[in-house]
Amino acid sequence: MKELFHSVGLISEKCIGCTKCLMNCPVEAIRVKNGKAVIYNEKCIDCGECIKVCPYGAHVSIKDSLEDIKKFNIKVAIPSVTLYSQLGQDVSPQMINDALLKIGFDEVFDITYACDIASEVLKKDIEKVDKPAISTLCPVVIRLIETQYPTLISHMVKMITPIEISALMIREKYEKLGYHNDEVGLFFLSPCPSWATKVNSISRNDNIRIDGVISIDEVYPKLLKNINKNIDIENKPSISSTGLMWAYSEGQSRAIGIDDYIAVDGIKNVIKVLNDVENERLSNVKFIEAYACPSGCVGGLLLVENPFNAERITKKLIDKIDFSYQIDDHVVLESKFIGNNRKREVSQKLAEDFESAVKKIKMMNNIINMLPGTDCGLCGSPSCKAFAEDVVKGLANLEDCKFINGGLKNEG
Amino acid sequence: MDELLNVKYDVASGDFIRGGEASSNIKKLLQQLGVRNDIIKRICVACYEAEMNIVIHSVGGYIEAKVFSDRIEITAFDNGPGIENIDLALQEGYSTASNLAREMGFGGGMGLPNIKRSCDEFYIDSKVGEYTKIKIIVYLK
Ligand SMILES: Nc1ncnc2c1ncn2[C@@H]1O[C@H](COP(=O)(O)OP(=O)(O)OP(=O)(O)O)[C@@H](O)[C@H]1O
Ligand code: SF4
Ligand SMILES: [Mg+2]
Repeated sequence: MKELFHSVGLISEKCIGCTKCLMNCPVEAIRVKNGKAVIYNEKCIDCGECIKVCPYGAHVSIKDSLEDIKKFNIKVAIPSVTLYSQLGQDVSPQMINDALLKIGFDEVFDITYACDIASEVLKKDIEKVDKPAISTLCPVVIRLIETQYPTLISHMVKMITPIEISALMIREKYEKLGYHNDEVGLFFLSPCPSWATKVNSISRNDNIRIDGVISIDEVYPKLLKNINKNIDIENKPSISSTGLMWAYSEGQSRAIGIDDYIAVDGIKNVIKVLNDVENERLSNVKFIEAYACPSGCVGGLLLVENPFNAERITKKLIDKIDFSYQIDDHVVLESKFIGNNRKREVSQKLAEDFESAVKKIKMMNNIINMLPGTDCGLCGSPSCKAFAEDVVKGLANLEDCKFINGGLKNEG
Repeated sequence: MDELLNVKYDVASGDFIRGGEASSNIKKLLQQLGVRNDIIKRICVACYEAEMNIVIHSVGGYIEAKVFSDRIEITAFDNGPGIENIDLALQEGYSTASNLAREMGFGGGMGLPNIKRSCDEFYIDSKVGEYTKIKIIVYLK
């Protein structure tokens, strides 16, 4: 199997083997082995919690740098809609787009156009999946469902995200203009690490390939230096107010004008809501917008402004802008906006066949009964239960438990 | 056929915070066994509703899951107050849930009908003042 790419990495030299990340990972994807943290790729959902809690800066997000754009003849920026909330309320989207051109991009794609298309596609897509439909904007939530809630895959909308829609349209345009696909470099300016993983997973599809993910906190200081407040805004195209709504939690529901929805943010809260969906407690809800970050994408880990002010600035902008794209019906019906990549289900089974799995569970239960249940973390697993599972999977040795090890010594 | 595994969880009356833990543990167990997702989903729904009924309507009890090579059996048992009219309780929309439970989104009177719908075999037995026992069986093949 091809190894999974992840956007959260570890700088081994900086890690001192404390158990902060271990204890805070919402999906128990981290272990401490030989004094260093190890991230289990098949479990990691790229939420970035470990980056947030690591006191030593050992967990980092893997992304591209602004230098990488130089490899391409044509350099196109796809800014996340959250970018427009990062430079204060007096800096307009036009000024930000102008500054992006100055720092080296040849074109800034208006992602709010892609968001407006996405809203129209979403309205129809909601009707086609199991109720409640679940938004697939946040890559972390998608991974969470694939790894922990495979029974809910049939609830996920099938459309591609505004980021992919942007890529599709840019690639179409340059192909028509006669450019070779490899000459054109597309860069997503991202609010979070998770997009690096997502972009990597679509990298083999040439129509929507994105060549790099650059974090907004990296471009931020360069933008600040290049903002010109005297540019003639009147002559620059406006971005769309409804498109901007995709920046914050509740925005998608507002953009599509749905009345019966749940907007949930923060990974722990998302887990609560998904549990309720799984127990069919929310079958009468039409749509669920779920975000790993507090307040939605304006709460992204790689942003500069605090989430609450970013949300406020976004809403102020929305009120001020009197423009939305009119999306033709025939555009919405185009099948290219529906994803064909079947969601990857991740199996939690302990063994290929039922009988062996039963044996392993029995072993696991025996081990759990031997453990103190204090979840001390000294063994390198996040809890006694997780440790027992690691042992039967062959990922840990029973002697790694200080309690059992010490106990044996005492007897001997 | 022989019973392969057996797990049992106590369920406390009125504990809305921890209510649901037994079913989510059982879900994890079924995932580790490699049970098909559509089957897990049906068991989850039935198990959760039975568990919440113990939390909401009873003085407390337990949920037990038994694994056989061809089926999963779930038993939800509590120590009263029991159900006076079982036929009525099984009707869609019938509920005696408290205001508190209603505020938490329960009390639609859909729990028992949903449990019945989700499983292949359904047994309910109750004695007023003594117990309520629900047993559900879902086939694995
Ligand atoms: N374990 C139990 N002990 C005593 N009474 C019960 C028990 N389970 C169900 N009942 C009775 O049966 C009624 C119907 O149960 P059911 O689960 O269908 O609906 P509900 O719990 O009231 O609402 P919902 O399940 O939709 O939240 C309950 O209101 C209660 O009067
Ligand atoms: S909610 Fe957070 S992790 Fe998810 S897409 Fe938005 S910024 Fe990224
Ligand atoms: Mg009920």
